[in-house]
Amino acid sequence: MFPDGLVHRSAQELVRYAEALVYIAAADGELVRDEIAIIEAMMGRAMLHPESRVTVRAGFEQPIPLEQSLADLDQTMVRYILRDAALVAAVDGAYDTKEVRALKIIAKAGDVSTQQLSALLDWVAEGWQWFEQGTQHLEKSA
Amino acid sequence: MGKKRASTPMLPDTVHKLPREERFAYARLLAYMARIDNELTIDEMAMFEQRLGTALLSPNQRDMIRAALKNPPTLEECLEELSGEAGRLALRDAVMMAAADGTVDEDERDALEDISEHLGLSEDAVDRLLEWTVKGYRWMKEGYELLDSLGE
Repeated sequence: MFPDGLVHRSAQELVRYAEALVYIAAADGELVRDEIAIIEAMMGRAMLHPESRVTVRAGFEQPIPLEQSLADLDQTMVRYILRDAALVAAVDGAYDTKEVRALKIIAKAGDVSTQQLSALLDWVAEGWQWFEQGTQHLEKSA
Repeated sequence: MGKKRASTPMLPDTVHKLPREERFAYARLLAYMARIDNELTIDEMAMFEQRLGTALLSPNQRDMIRAALKNPPTLEECLEELSGEAGRLALRDAVMMAAADGTVDEDERDALEDISEHLGLSEDAVDRLLEWTVKGYRWMKEGYELLDSLGE
């Protein structure tokens, strides 16, 4: 994914961003390798400092409460978190009730309506389908 | 909301499931691609870091890959270690990296064709992956537009 406004955010905001993603990934239970891989990818894309990534990884076993990560963030930042949280939550193939609840908390903090959240989840599903087509291209080319 | 999307496909990326040595070889090729035109834009760097994250390399391997960014290996050295699924995934992501700054120049195109040939893929493999990448970047752009519209 292209970088976006995230790369211009402060190190502290980016840690909060990543901590929120960890919370989402862990909402349905212990983090699995697929979830860790996408969190590491998001931290990489945001170009989070390596030392900050160590801080975030410390929360893999005991995630920081979502409300704490979202506190005092501006709405644009919260919406970045919402978009990427939706991608993280979809990684295991379905939105668990706890993940949906957490996404709704983020949406509320970002002043995003249920309808807009629904549109975001549709966008995530389209992206997953696009990515899968890449795998199919590779298989056909082999 | 969750029920409606219960059939959302699982993330089809499998880079993190490759054996450790193959993930390293994959990342090494991307380091080569990142430096192929002796420029490293922020778009390319973000894409590179994203893929490096996905590869779940050990801290030591990450250091070696970042060193490879400063002193890139040759394409031949990268290809020696690459075959099969790791090679195909490396080609896919090399295409995405090459296109990350909006254009694929001649050196990048040549390298992509060399990788494809090394892997024994069909002649149109790179073209198909480039078309796929364009679609993906369109999807990402729609995501940014969607994000902007959330504030309205």
